[in-house]
Amino acid sequence: MKRFECLQAIAPLMKDELFVTTAGGATSEWNAVRPSDGNLQVKTLGLCSSIGLGLAIALPRRRVIVFDGDGALWMNMGSLATIGLHQPKNLVHICWDNQQYESSGGEPTVSTAEKIDFAGVAKAAGIQSSRCVSTVEDLKEAVSYALSHDGPHFVWATIEPGRTQVPALKYDELENKYRVIRYIEETEGISVLTVPIPHSYELKTDRH
Amino acid sequence: MGTYENSRRILEALKEAGISLMASVPDINLKELIELIGQDKEIVHVPVGREEEGIGVCTGAYLAGKRPAILMQNAGLMNSCNALTTTALQFGIPVLLLVYYAGDMGDDAFHMLGLLTEPVLSGLGIKYAVMRDPARVKRDISAAVTSAQASKRPVALVLTRAVL
Repeated sequence: MKRFECLQAIAPLMKDELFVTTAGGATSEWNAVRPSDGNLQVKTLGLCSSIGLGLAIALPRRRVIVFDGDGALWMNMGSLATIGLHQPKNLVHICWDNQQYESSGGEPTVSTAEKIDFAGVAKAAGIQSSRCVSTVEDLKEAVSYALSHDGPHFVWATIEPGRTQVPALKYDELENKYRVIRYIEETEGISVLTVPIPHSYELKTDRH
Repeated sequence: MGTYENSRRILEALKEAGISLMASVPDINLKELIELIGQDKEIVHVPVGREEEGIGVCTGAYLAGKRPAILMQNAGLMNSCNALTTTALQFGIPVLLLVYYAGDMGDDAFHMLGLLTEPVLSGLGIKYAVMRDPARVKRDISAAVTSAQASKRPVALVLTRAVL
């Protein structure tokens, strides 16, 4: 199965989940399939799972979905242990495994030799709901389950290599950050950003 | 080894400055402080395996309204350079870095770490202060958090044995 058809298949299952998408092709494809201010792009390879964990811990009643890749996950395998330690019920971690560093030119990753079992690693790290899917039907079923049961969840989706032509992202990481924050503020009813008033502007009542 | 008295002073200052989530990787000199953070009911404590993860956790937590900090040794600062650069600095995330100063003047181990800590912070463009006076702990922490929030960038406080 191709990543793009996977994304198209699971998009209708989503409501107001927050998405943290890996530095790679999954980001532009997901934003083409399901544009939302709740989508955060990641620029540090491997850090998506850790950023997702931070969001999930800070908003325990909001479901957070991480799109990882095999090369990215290899770079931050320890995050599986950390997720297993903290057990965020609201975190759904999906690894799109195309057995290559697609954005870097298709070089092999740890997955290319087909020795690693990412779902097994996740399970052994304490992520009990951990499975491997290789068909769109199984993927939809796994994601539906993850969206309706307490996690943490890990889904290892083995996909064919290849990107789908989609428009480039319309905004950079700074605008993305502000959009995500404003989206969280609106949907959670909280205040995240406040602009400090310079001390010189403050009303001084004790000055004569 | 740190002391509970000094560690309690740091914790209170962090809470007064509004820090609400702390990622951590241990160091022997941070033992008491990490223990107190773990016991505290107001601060969410997130132990991580590697410091880069901690920068990620703090980033996610900031977007969701927490005021985050990470507690680590300066070896961990080195470990987290890419996450600091391509996430914390590139996205503009105000995370407070509390960095233990291994290899500080007079420390007989980790001299290379000590030598390179301040140049690395300067090279990253991260504003920092070295904390040497326990009496200034509250002011230093308050100032660092204010600077981080105002600039939307990471700011570092380098903790020496004198303040721990």
